[in-house]
Amino acid sequence: MSTDSTAPQRISIVIVDDDASIRVSLQRLCDVYGLSATAFASGRDFLAALEHSAPRPDCLLLDAHMPGMTGSELHRALRARGVHIPTIVFTADDAPELSAHYATAGIVACLRKPLGAEDLLAAIDQAVGGRNSTA
Amino acid sequence: MSSQRLRAGSDAPTDRRPLVAGLSVFIPIAILGNALGPVLRYPDVGSAILFVPYAALTAVLAVSRPRQWIWYILVDFVAHFATHWPIWPVSWVLMAGAANLTRALVAAGLLSRFFHEPPRLDGIRSLIVFVTSAVFMAPAVGATIGAATVVLHGGSSTYWLPWTAWFVSNALTGLAMLPALIVGFAHVMGAYRFDLTRERVLEVVALAFALGASSAFAFLTDPSRQHLALPLYAPLPVMVWAALRFGAGGASAVLTVVTFAAIWSVDRGTGPFTGVAPDANILTLQIFVLFTSVPVLCLAAVATARQSVVQLHNALLASFQDQVAILDADGTVIEVNESWLRFAAAPFALEFNRVRAGDRYLAGCEASAAHGDATAAGVLEGLRAVLGGSRRHFAIEYDVERQGQRRTFTMNVEALERVGGGAVLRRSDVTARRQAQLEIEEQRRQLSHLARVAVLGHLSGAFAHELNQPLSAILSNAETAREVLRRQPGNVEYLKAILRDIIADDERAAAVVQRLRALLKRGDRRLQLIEPRELVNEVLDLARTDLITRHVEATAVVSPELPPLWGDKVQLQQVLLNLILNGCEAMSTTAASARRLVLTAEPGGMGSIHLAVRDCGVGIPPALIDRLFEPFVTTKADGLGLGLSISRTIVAAHGGRLWGENNADCGATLHCQLPVAQTSRSATGLEASDVPVAAGDPR
Repeated sequence: MSTDSTAPQRISIVIVDDDASIRVSLQRLCDVYGLSATAFASGRDFLAALEHSAPRPDCLLLDAHMPGMTGSELHRALRARGVHIPTIVFTADDAPELSAHYATAGIVACLRKPLGAEDLLAAIDQAVGGRNSTA
Repeated sequence: MSSQRLRAGSDAPTDRRPLVAGLSVFIPIAILGNALGPVLRYPDVGSAILFVPYAALTAVLAVSRPRQWIWYILVDFVAHFATHWPIWPVSWVLMAGAANLTRALVAAGLLSRFFHEPPRLDGIRSLIVFVTSAVFMAPAVGATIGAATVVLHGGSSTYWLPWTAWFVSNALTGLAMLPALIVGFAHVMGAYRFDLTRERVLEVVALAFALGASSAFAFLTDPSRQHLALPLYAPLPVMVWAALRFGAGGASAVLTVVTFAAIWSVDRGTGPFTGVAPDANILTLQIFVLFTSVPVLCLAAVATARQSVVQLHNALLASFQDQVAILDADGTVIEVNESWLRFAAAPFALEFNRVRAGDRYLAGCEASAAHGDATAAGVLEGLRAVLGGSRRHFAIEYDVERQGQRRTFTMNVEALERVGGGAVLRRSDVTARRQAQLEIEEQRRQLSHLARVAVLGHLSGAFAHELNQPLSAILSNAETAREVLRRQPGNVEYLKAILRDIIADDERAAAVVQRLRALLKRGDRRLQLIEPRELVNEVLDLARTDLITRHVEATAVVSPELPPLWGDKVQLQQVLLNLILNGCEAMSTTAASARRLVLTAEPGGMGSIHLAVRDCGVGIPPALIDRLFEPFVTTKADGLGLGLSISRTIVAAHGGRLWGENNADCGATLHCQLPVAQTSRSATGLEASDVPVAAGDPR
């Protein structure tokens, strides 16, 4: 697909989700489509990794619904630290007002679980493209 | 025409029939009595031996309305005046008349005060009241005035001699004659009605004959042959007869006759009261009648009391809708009530219950039990235990089916508290009650189910979330696999791992559906052993997503090695879920960082487990703390207030307790105490409504 043709260097993705199955399956999906994916079980883990100078990913996949720190809380925490990473939020809830809420908060896309590969890749494409255009 | 008529009639002054009837009898008695007064007289003291007018006036006053008293008083005074003047000076006649009137008013006043109906001597208490009023106090008052009259008119040099004479003669009249006259006037004036059957009249005739014969024997014998005064006892059996069969009225009538016979014998110089000075003879006679009257009237009062008790007993037995049978110690029926007799002939009566007084109930039970009647065997076992004294009470519930109809009965057997033992059997048809009970249980089950569905409705978002998680992972894995097959179909190990994960996630989704189904199902109660730890963890699982959404941090503290509970798992989950959601609601205005919920399970003492849900919310308003578990009591704007009420019902049905209290620091704790499973599994309240029903014989 389009990701194959953009660059020889693989796009790096970070997945933050408290559900292990989701983390593993999303990592696999990213892998097979040639994206380099790292997964964290919570927002705090990711923030900690960033502080230990882990490389910033090109795109962030966040679960909206996590104990401790929710997806949007993590997003706000990152912005508060001046870290701007194009972010995609996904949720298992079916409340329609969520998308609108996230759209206004500077989030690239809000997807609903179950996540279809096509939608996800399109959103990543958009996110990464967006970063490229602003950079 | 009851005794009420006379008293209650005081509101109806137009009814003069009692007055007319009373006067028609009282006038001749008053004239005769007053005329007799001077005849029955102490030789040297101016007072009578037996003063009939006192008894007559008191009796007629005691059974009539106070507003009519004036007529009898006038009649009595006229008769008194006519028979004593001009033999006695006017002042004497007036003073003696005042003494007579005062005495009768005191007696009648006291009797009216203490007896609601025309006085009835139907017990020792009423006898004591009667004797105190009419035999002691009234004669004493009369004697005080009478003795003064005698002394003032020079009839006696001492005060106490005439006082004693007046007192004793009136006391004697009150005791011996008054009860008979009260009954007589009450009858004439319509307050009592005698049942004069032929047998009764014959008995009266026989009694009168025996009275005449015994009195003749006692009082007509030659005084020289009266060494031991034995004939004096001859009237005693007749007095006892009258007392037992005709009450105080009959006994008093016999006493009156005996007294007159004795007085007559003194006059004739025969019988036992002869020999010494005439006034000593008379005093002896009076004392004899006084001392005989007291035990005879006691006997009459007790006999009447016993009769009342028997009537009361019969009325009570007849009033029971339940079927009652009384057995003696060897299981023979002594008595049954109307309802029992009717039922014995009805189609729903079991063979051994078709008995009447005199039948051997226990033997009937034995016979039916020997033919394989399980109900008879059950009754037999319980009845033997009660009759044998090893149990005081026994109850059995059983069904009987006849012509396609089924009825439920309970049989209660209660030990009979008396010498010789025995038992009281009470059977009632509880079909309707049982039906109502089943309906209530069904309604409760439906309500509890509705409440559960409502709770699940609350959690529907959470369930969607929980289902979407594995579905999402499955989709990602499947799409990955498709892509892997396209790019590197040889990578079998990778594909295997993906498939393994897909299966695991599928099972996870199925488990969510399963859990939901269990809570949504409207099945019957399913009792099972429940591990408290499992219960707590499963409920937290159910609530987890919701807890996350509400930013509530929930922790479970479960003591190790808790014994299992016995109950319906779904219902207990419902209860805990309610408590948790309640805690969450209470914390909705608490800062997100402080929303902590602690779920504990620990030993509760006395074979119970104590579950508690502690929150840090607003706490329970003091006004609601006692009503928290009542239906429709809620602090939420959109709550129905049924969750906690139904929870309490569920917990109570499990033999447990549910209560709430505010914490010292913040929020409230809801406590739930549940009994642990018994080895016999019979100690919880659950079985109370599932009492095994003895099988009726399906003949």
